[in-house]
Amino acid sequence: MTRTALASHTALFYGSDDQFASAVGAYLGEGVAREERVLAVVPLAKLERLRDELGQDAGAIDFVDARDGYRPQWNVFRAVLDSLASAPGRRLRVVAEQDLAARTPAEVIDYQRLEAAVNVIFRDHPLTLLCPYDAGTLSTDLFDISRLTHDTVIDETGRRHNEQFADPSALLRGLATVTPPLALAITLRCDEAADLSEARRFVREHATMAGLDRDTVDDLVLAVSEILTNALTHGRPPRRLHLYDDGPTWVCHVHDSGAGPGDLYAGFAPPALPSDHGYGLWMARQLCDAVDVGADVTGTHVRLHARHQR
Amino acid sequence: MTLTPELATANLAELEPGSHLCAFYDTDEQLARIASTFVTWGLAAGDQMLYVAGDDDSATTMLTSLLDDVHGTQALASGQLQIRSFADTYGGVHDGDLAPIEAGFRAAAEASRKSGFPALRVAAEMGDFARFLGSPDEVLRWERRSTAMQRDLGVSSVCQYDLRHVEDRHAAGIAAEHRALAPDSHEPPLATFLADLDPWGLRVAGEVDIANRAALIRAIQSRAEVSPRVHLDLHGLTFADVGTVRGLRAVAAALPHDGNLVLRRPPDLLRRILDLTGLRHQRMVVEP
Repeated sequence: MTRTALASHTALFYGSDDQFASAVGAYLGEGVAREERVLAVVPLAKLERLRDELGQDAGAIDFVDARDGYRPQWNVFRAVLDSLASAPGRRLRVVAEQDLAARTPAEVIDYQRLEAAVNVIFRDHPLTLLCPYDAGTLSTDLFDISRLTHDTVIDETGRRHNEQFADPSALLRGLATVTPPLALAITLRCDEAADLSEARRFVREHATMAGLDRDTVDDLVLAVSEILTNALTHGRPPRRLHLYDDGPTWVCHVHDSGAGPGDLYAGFAPPALPSDHGYGLWMARQLCDAVDVGADVTGTHVRLHARHQR
Repeated sequence: MTLTPELATANLAELEPGSHLCAFYDTDEQLARIASTFVTWGLAAGDQMLYVAGDDDSATTMLTSLLDDVHGTQALASGQLQIRSFADTYGGVHDGDLAPIEAGFRAAAEASRKSGFPALRVAAEMGDFARFLGSPDEVLRWERRSTAMQRDLGVSSVCQYDLRHVEDRHAAGIAAEHRALAPDSHEPPLATFLADLDPWGLRVAGEVDIANRAALIRAIQSRAEVSPRVHLDLHGLTFADVGTVRGLRAVAAALPHDGNLVLRRPPDLLRRILDLTGLRHQRMVVEP
């Protein structure tokens, strides 16, 4: 792939907190010196460490606790898009890292999609993005995806162009998992606009029984309503909503018999201008902990995950 | 009385403008149920409701006690619900000419639009009307003429006939001049869009989604045609989807430069949608 992109996407593999602080500190300080906008989304402990490292430069940096910036994970796209929009044309320098060890399997898969999608969604934006990875604790899945989704790699041997960079669309196709609804799911048929209200009540009731808190239930109800509206507008009957427990997450699974959105990148970003459609999947990703979209011979599956709050 | 005219029952949730419905009752309780169901759904859609009663005082008592208290009282105060006696509506003398009655109908529909309502709906007790026209054949002649006129004006109605005063052989003919029967009960509407005079706008309560958002947008646009500063009181709004917010933004964007759409007391959910979608507009003002 020839890169004439405005954006760059670099992985930093560090072995210690000291290495993290000096490498990321230098990276952020360089942005301040160049009068770029600088945004740091990192776990709270690292955030404090970076402030110390940067001294007075820290005042020019927007720091966001990763627990907020990545809640849910796709919120980080919104934070970056909003920062870009607030100063059009000005380069934005971002460091983004979260505690991946705390993520559920569904969220880890979605994070891999996120890393692939960055390369297309932000390609034509003046964005310099650094993703630090703790080399000592990285799982094989995450190590593999990080090697495939960053155009530049920095590790103990130095900085280099990444020859393993892979086509993001091919990666996203591979990550478009389709899982049939679990056999113990409870199911509601939803083929008419008039069924939506009942579907929302159904989700609220069962999500509450599953122990999800009020705000999470509100968000899930809105997300399900949007995805069912998509299914009613673009999909084909029969359309069904399945609810079930899938280990660490509680799942609202919308299935219809249509071919699905087709566009691999649907809903990773909101429509650039107010539009008649294109908000459903974007909203779902901003409201749920993980979102799977896929199609099989039976139709389109959208799985909305909410983490159990146990 | 056992007559059951062979007509389907209308679904008020999907009533096409200009629908000419009828109903037959043989008790006052049944009339009350039919009337309040039709009026409730008309008011909920933001339409103006004209109730033509044999006796307007007893009709007022009946409707305000049957409609949810707040709705009935507010709708009477704002002029969205008007209850008129037959005599006030059509005058006292009939000489066989239906044209003046039709002209009165057309004037009422026009007045409704000019008062900021998307459409007029009429519920009429037909007993005195039949006496006024003089013969069952004249009633049929009027009903036939009314079907075409209502379609033309987009005015929906229910003509309520008292089976205690209509002969069986006439009832079937009357039914045949109508599209469907009005139901005597119905689920409550998903949402209600009630007219407000001060501030000018609508009071929105309930859930708005793909099933009813077009009706909300239509009601707002009708208010905006009278005055381009429209206030929506959203205190009772329990759900709105992104399509609703997109519609509100589009209405605001289409207002003249001195107009605005004020969203008062929006629920948290609406703010959340605005934050996540960025669907804002300078003429869409969000108030606490």
